[in-house]
Amino acid sequence: MPRTENDIAIVGFAQSPMLRRSEHTEAEMMLPTVQGAIKMAGLNKEDIGFTVSGSCDYLSGRAFSFVANVDAYGAWPPISESHVEMDGAWALYEAFVHLLLGHVDTALAAGVGKNSNSDPTTLYTIEVDPYYLTPLGADPWSLAALQYRALLDAGKVTERDVAEVVARNLANAKDNINAQVSADLSVDEILAQPYVRNPLRKSDLPPVTDGCAAVVLARGKKAYDLCERPVWITGIDHRVEPHLPTLRRDLTVSESTRLAAEGAGVHNGPIDVAEIYAPFSFQELIIRESLGLSDDTVVNASGGAQGANPVMVTGLLRIIEAAKAIMEGGKNRALAHATSGPCLQQNLVCILEGDE
Amino acid sequence: MTDTSIDMEPFHLQFPFTRTLGSTLSTFFSALAEGQIIGVRIGDRVVAPPMEYDPETGADAGSEWVKVGPKGTVSTWTWVSEPTRLHPLQEPFAFAFITLDGADTPMIHAVKATEDQLAAGLRVEAQFKSGDEVNGRIDDLVFVPASDPSPSEGAGEPYEAPAEPEVQTMDAYCDLVYVDNFAPATREWADALMNARLFGRRCPKCNRMVIGANPMCSVDGVLLGDGEVVELQGTGVVSNFTIVTPTPYPGQKETEPFVRCSIMIDGADAVIGQQEIIGIPASEVRVGMRVAIEWAPEGERNVDDLGNGNHGATAGAVRGWRPTGEPDEPAENYVERMM
Repeated sequence: MPRTENDIAIVGFAQSPMLRRSEHTEAEMMLPTVQGAIKMAGLNKEDIGFTVSGSCDYLSGRAFSFVANVDAYGAWPPISESHVEMDGAWALYEAFVHLLLGHVDTALAAGVGKNSNSDPTTLYTIEVDPYYLTPLGADPWSLAALQYRALLDAGKVTERDVAEVVARNLANAKDNINAQVSADLSVDEILAQPYVRNPLRKSDLPPVTDGCAAVVLARGKKAYDLCERPVWITGIDHRVEPHLPTLRRDLTVSESTRLAAEGAGVHNGPIDVAEIYAPFSFQELIIRESLGLSDDTVVNASGGAQGANPVMVTGLLRIIEAAKAIMEGGKNRALAHATSGPCLQQNLVCILEGDE
Repeated sequence: MTDTSIDMEPFHLQFPFTRTLGSTLSTFFSALAEGQIIGVRIGDRVVAPPMEYDPETGADAGSEWVKVGPKGTVSTWTWVSEPTRLHPLQEPFAFAFITLDGADTPMIHAVKATEDQLAAGLRVEAQFKSGDEVNGRIDDLVFVPASDPSPSEGAGEPYEAPAEPEVQTMDAYCDLVYVDNFAPATREWADALMNARLFGRRCPKCNRMVIGANPMCSVDGVLLGDGEVVELQGTGVVSNFTIVTPTPYPGQKETEPFVRCSIMIDGADAVIGQQEIIGIPASEVRVGMRVAIEWAPEGERNVDDLGNGNHGATAGAVRGWRPTGEPDEPAENYVERMM
C-alpha cells in the first residue's frame, strides 16, 4: 500500500549505555542520546517540529529534573515541547498524534530514567492507591507476586515455564550489545534461586538500570527523504484498567493489552518479531497470550526488560528494538509493547512495518 | 570535606500531608475506626473497600453501604520474607487478596500467619487495633487465620452511615530515601570551589560561556568538555536580585529579610544564582553593582550542600560577594541574561 502524508515512520533512534548506575544526571544522559537520534535521521535540532519526553522526578529524587532535561534539546530559540510522566513509549504516542495533526513533519520522543538513586520496593508505594494501598507499603514486587500466584493457581503456567522465560531472555541478552545483564543460566539453576516474594524469585525481577532512549519520527514523504527504509507505525493504541488490581475481573489476563493490540491492528498480518515489556518475567506469558501471538513470532530477541530496565525508557526501547529488526534486520512486520502501573495496569501496543 | 568521588549522603525526601477523604472514604474509614468494614453495592456487585465510582463505567457508585467481613477468604497470596520499613508488619507476613464475606471484590491486605498456612481458600478474619492505635486508616487492622471458618455474622446486611462520619481526613507521611552520586561535572566544580577557583566552559558553537557544575550549552544542546574550560576571576556584576522575607520551614536558617543575587561573573554569559551580598544592607543592593567574591577561609570552606546540575552553586565555599566600590555598570546591560 503506498504511503501517504498521514503515514508516520521511525527514521532515527539512539540509546545511552544501560548501567546499574550512571554517574551522569538525567539531562547529561539525554543530551548525547537525543542529539544522536537527530543525527541518525540526518537532521539538526532546529529541524525538529515537536519534542516530547517521558520521565519521573521521583526516580532520581531531584525536583524539576524534567525541566532541567530540556537543556538536552538546546531549546533556544524556544521549541514546541511536551512531557509525560510515563514511559517514553507514551511520549512517542503523543508525538505520533501530534504529527497526525499535520502542522509539523518531524518529531522527537525520548524517555529517561535515573533509577539507581531510589529503592523500588519503597518508591513505588506512592504510585498506588493512597488510601487503600500506600499505608500498607504495598510494593511492586508483592503486587506482581500476587498476580503470579493467581496465574499458577489458575493452572495456566508452572514455575518451570516462567524459569524458561528467564533463561531465554538472559541468554538472548548476550547478543544485545546494549544489555546491562545477560547470563547462561539453566532452568534448574533458576528454580533453585530463593523467593523474594513467594512465588517471585530474584531472577524474575528486572535489573535496576539508568538509561535514556530517543526516537525521531517523520511524516509521509519526509520519512523517505531522511531514511532509506523508514519503519512505518501502522497502528498504535493504549488502554488502561482500574488502578486497584483487586477491581480487575481476572488478573491472569491483560484485557487492556488485548484491546490495544486489536486497536493497533495486530491481526492484520503475521508478526515476525515482538518486543514485550514484562517488568516481571512471568508477565511475558500473560502479555503474549493477550496479544494472540502465534508460535512463529520471535519474542524478545533483545532479552527484553530482563536485559535492562530503565523505568520510563524500557517501553521505548521495545519500540527501538522492533524498529531495528525492520530497518536493519530485514523483517517486515513487528510488534512493540509497553506497560505501566502495578500488575500490567496500562498497556500500549505498536505495530511497525517496512515497505515490501 | 565532602568526598565527591563517592555517592552522596542519603537524602531523605520526607513530607507530611493530610488528605481529605470525601463522602465515600470518610464513611468507610469512620466505620473501620469502630471495627466495622463496609462495601458499596454497585450494580450486581458489592465492592469492598468501597469506591466512589463504578470502576467499570465511571458512574457514581452511590451510597448503598453493605456490611462485609470481618471474615473473608484468600484468593491469591504472596509471602514477604523480608518486610520493608513501610510494611504494616515488621516480621515475615503475607499479602493477600481477601474477599470479605458479603463482598464480591477482594481487598489487598496483610495476613499475619505462617507461610505453610497460606493457600487460596484460607479463611481469615480481621484483627483490629484498639485504643490510641486506631487512626481510621487502612492499617488499623491486619488479618489472621480465622479461628472459626463459619460465615461472618451480619455480612451482607445494609449499613446505616452516620450523617456526618467522624473520620474526615487521613494523615500521611511520605518518606523516601535517595542515594545520588556526584556527576563528573559536579566533582570538577566542587574541586575548583575547594581551591578557591571559578571556571566556565565556552560553547564552541555559540561562543557563550556557561558557569558552574553544568557541562552543557543549553542553547545549542552541546556537551562541553575539559577543552572548553576557561578560568575566571572572582569579580562580576549583580544582574538581578530579590529580597527574601523568611518564613519558617524545615531547614530555613534565616530569620531577617536577606538578599539573594544573580551574579554575572566577568567573562561569563550565564549568571550564577542564589548568591549572598556582604558588607551592605539589603536595601542598597542594585543591578549593575560591581562585586568581588569572598571565599570562606580554608578549613571552613566546604561543598556539603552542593548538588548536581548547579544546585547550591557555591554551597559553603563562599562567604558572599562584596561590593568593590567601582562605578556601576549600566543596568540595562543585564536584561535578557541567561539564568
